Amino acid sequence: MSEFSGHLALRAATRAHGRTVLATQSFRAPYHVSKPYWDADAHTLLVQVVNPTAGILSGDELTSDIAVDEGASLLVTTPSASRVFKMKAGSAECRQHFTVATGGWLEVMPEPLVPHRGCTYRQSTHIEVAEGGELFFADVLVPGRVAHGEAWGWEKLCLEIDVRLAGELILRERFAPTGEELRALAELAGSGPSACFANAVLVAAESEFDAAWRTAIAALHGDGLWMGVSRLRRGGWSLKFIATDTVRLRRGLRAARAALAKRFPRLSCDPRKL
Amino acid sequence: MSSAPATGIKKWHGRPARESKAHGQDARATSAWLLGLLQAGDSFYPTGSYAHSFGLEPLVQEGVVRDRETLRRFIFQSTLPALRHVELPLAAHAWRAFETPDWPRLSELCVLSSALKTAREARLASENIGRQRAELMATLRGHELAREFLRRAAAENWPHAAAISAALEGRVLGAPLPAVLAGISYAMLSSLLSAAMKILRLGQNAAQSLLTEALTAVPEIIASAELTPVSEIGWFNPWLDIAAARHESADARMFIS
Repeated sequence: MSEFSGHLALRAATRAHGRTVLATQSFRAPYHVSKPYWDADAHTLLVQVVNPTAGILSGDELTSDIAVDEGASLLVTTPSASRVFKMKAGSAECRQHFTVATGGWLEVMPEPLVPHRGCTYRQSTHIEVAEGGELFFADVLVPGRVAHGEAWGWEKLCLEIDVRLAGELILRERFAPTGEELRALAELAGSGPSACFANAVLVAAESEFDAAWRTAIAALHGDGLWMGVSRLRRGGWSLKFIATDTVRLRRGLRAARAALAKRFPRLSCDPRKL
Repeated sequence: MSSAPATGIKKWHGRPARESKAHGQDARATSAWLLGLLQAGDSFYPTGSYAHSFGLEPLVQEGVVRDRETLRRFIFQSTLPALRHVELPLAAHAWRAFETPDWPRLSELCVLSSALKTAREARLASENIGRQRAELMATLRGHELAREFLRRAAAENWPHAAAISAALEGRVLGAPLPAVLAGISYAMLSSLLSAAMKILRLGQNAAQSLLTEALTAVPEIIASAELTPVSEIGWFNPWLDIAAARHESADARMFIS
């Protein structure tokens, strides 16, 4: 079985007409980038990163480096879930590095990560935002191939994220529970055997209009969806979602993005447009 | 050969060994740091922790923790892992950094502790308790290490953290690392159970039985936490974080966090 040392590098920049373009793009399998779409209403360039292979396999090492220049606006998404397959031996790793310059906007909104039974996977995400830059990043985790009755069966799973604003660490999370640990917590909280998660971070300066979207998002809590927003130590917010199933989770995420779009209009760009 | 008396109580023929001077000094030093840690871990010690439930109240409000059994599961599935993967490793690294002291490292650990707590209430609880603990070390003990830590934290705007200040206490008192980590674990568990008795139908004996059971797991946790590298510090319970976030705007609450 072939192993991939995948590589993706994108740099978004503005041109004289005010639009954002991909000033640099470089990728190697299993990454592929679709033709970008300029959303004039949201004033954002939408890029889909495609993995044309079945998914992530043992031995895969993926690195991505996405930069947004001053004044540019970029939404990066994926067209389908990232499945991490069973590994008889070895592991797979994904390292992501995102940077946003002053006045830039970056949204990273991939489809869910689906760790299959027996996989070992580590994903580390490093985000650097300059003062005056803005970012919305969301990681979505489904506990396995729920429709096949397979959940919480990964061997090892580690999701790490650190976010720096103007060089200062404002968020660090390391999520490396065993499947059994997370299943037990889901059971305790009543989220059921197929609970799924979205962990998002919004980096933006405080505004008098923040109360409105926070209230709207807080109101989403209930009916199988847990949702909470809390201010980071500086310059942003942590948004966490837990739902009893993916349908509720998607609905919650869509509603949260819609509420946020009133304050951050570039979130009105539809990731499923392409 | 002497035989056992009919009472079954063996007669002790020994006599106290003459205590060496060095042994006596060791014993006095041990007693001194032990007393200091007992004081710092006592509910009578004014750290302000009595005002916090450390996320328990919001989870009770959400209906997750309802009784002794769900509280027990919360302790074993959330509180102890958080100690294992976050608070104790942070304190262990800080305790080592206070030896020299390595101020840049301590600054990094203070920021890391703050960045690891994405729920604002949890972060403020740690900061407030941490600040109070550091100030108590400076004022009650008049120790230069504590004064210098406070001076640098204020000058360079370091966030305070309960785990870092507990490590400072350990260094000021001369306590070994396992004892410091045991003190942190005890303070965390006893504060949580003390809050639980106010929120839930939970009596003193039930709380003590849970505390006893949890404490039996702590030595193993301490041993693992001591070996955790900085790069592997981190753990969170997403339900706890969400509940804590919602607690910020709760209509009614008894605890700050």
